Amino acid sequence: MMTQASIDQSVDNRVSDLAAESTFREIDDTHRAIPAIEFRNVTMIYDGRKVLNDLSFKVMKGETKIILGGSGCGKSTTIKLVLGLIKPDTGQILVDGEDVTDYSEAQMMRVRKKIGMIFQEGALFDSLSVYENVAFKLHEQGVPEEEVENEVRRMLRFVNLEDAIDKMPSELSGGMRRRVGIARALVGDPKIVMFDEPTAGLDPPTARTICELAMKLRDLEDVSSIFVTHEMNNLDYLTSEYAVVNEAGEVVFEKEGEKLCLINSKVLMMRDGKIIFSGTDETLRKAEDPYIHKFLRGH
Amino acid sequence: MNFIARFLFELQEMSLLAGRAITGTFRKPRYVPETIAQMDYIGVGSLTIIVLTGFFTGGVLTLQTYQTLESYGAVDQLGYLVSISLIRELGPVLTALMVTGRVVSAISAELGSMVVSEQIDAMRALGTDPIRKLVAPRILALVITLPLLTLITDVMGIVGGWQVSTFLYGLPSSMFINSVKDGITTDDLIGGIIKPLFFAFLMGTIACHKGLKTEGGTVGVGRSTTSAVVMASIIVIIADFILARALQLILGTQG
Repeated sequence: MMTQASIDQSVDNRVSDLAAESTFREIDDTHRAIPAIEFRNVTMIYDGRKVLNDLSFKVMKGETKIILGGSGCGKSTTIKLVLGLIKPDTGQILVDGEDVTDYSEAQMMRVRKKIGMIFQEGALFDSLSVYENVAFKLHEQGVPEEEVENEVRRMLRFVNLEDAIDKMPSELSGGMRRRVGIARALVGDPKIVMFDEPTAGLDPPTARTICELAMKLRDLEDVSSIFVTHEMNNLDYLTSEYAVVNEAGEVVFEKEGEKLCLINSKVLMMRDGKIIFSGTDETLRKAEDPYIHKFLRGH
Repeated sequence: MNFIARFLFELQEMSLLAGRAITGTFRKPRYVPETIAQMDYIGVGSLTIIVLTGFFTGGVLTLQTYQTLESYGAVDQLGYLVSISLIRELGPVLTALMVTGRVVSAISAELGSMVVSEQIDAMRALGTDPIRKLVAPRILALVITLPLLTLITDVMGIVGGWQVSTFLYGLPSSMFINSVKDGITTDDLIGGIIKPLFFAFLMGTIACHKGLKTEGGTVGVGRSTTSAVVMASIIVIIADFILARALQLILGTQG
């Protein structure tokens, strides 16, 4: 039986818990104001040609930045710069508010641990099985095998490929390789994810599955991402649909419709290393630039 | 970029790679299973070609020198001549060249393919240093196995020479074996082991550097593999001359 004193104590505890929660939220919100990724006047010259020309943009926390553009416009270079796989000639790159521009390879290793990268063709390690590919990061960190297996199975379930756990990359189809690549990149639950043309060359249903995974990460996992693509259906999916969990506990995708406007997906369009458009998909479709018109309609 | 600038640039890149591989070997995480797997591939995998190379080189040495020695009445020196040629020169150089053909090409092609399929970038993106994970174990495995393979070439060469002298020329076994035993000095053996250590380090560095610098898709993989084999072979021959002279000076032998 509870005494008055113990009731008072429990109320006090609840009040202090609420206060702590509100303080926490406040701190959290301040943290959210810092962009996950920021480019400040980044220029990159390769073989005397400006691959990126004075590029500046931000990706906020929980936001997906869709980078559109034709081949060779500098899209893939942009995401490789975020990971420090290549270095810019001028400008600054910030990850979570941390200037990583002049970081050494050893310093970048620490930053890369919070970023997941999905490569164009999956970039799976040929000599390793699906299990070993997905477990790569954990094996490197010396995590016990039991925990590794649980995490690998969880990730493969996320991409719907648990059955392929013992297969070698050469036995997988193109779409499966990309999905294993996604599972591998998501080990450790990174809060920033880079997609480098993840649907290029895939059939429409598989491409849709990949986009759904990106939407799940954005809407359910609060992941910030850069999604590089030149395919318009990717843009349509990512800017007009969102993932929610229904009453049965299943993930479903709903259209934004007339009353809702998704603000966690922005579009950046590049041409010859320059940004020619930055904004929402609605404004992109209204843009009068002839190149954008041609890109959107294909003629 | 002119030839000299390009050469210096490449030399600098290779030195940096070698330096990082050496420091990576002594830091954690240590890639022991990878190193053992590479030792198995390089060492055990090369045994057949090394045994054949050694045996037939020793045999042909006997074949070519027996008659000359006979004309001078110095057939009792045959074992000495065969063993000294093998231990000082032919063993280390031929083993290095055979391993270059088999292993340097494979390392360069493997790393090159990983570069063009973005596996190296993926490894870096996953927070693993490819130099420590891929380069250091390969160089270390070469440094450990090449001297052992050289030793096998030497032994098999002497066996080959002995067999030819016995079965083809009817020389008593004891004469050949005694002349081998009397002729070889510790300095010869030390020289014969030091050379492959250097060769292995140079071969490994060249193979990994060329592989990691691959550009231009599958055509680039072929180009870097060829270039790695050619460069490693030439460097082995040049390094052999420099090491022979250095050992002459250090050990006070005739090289």
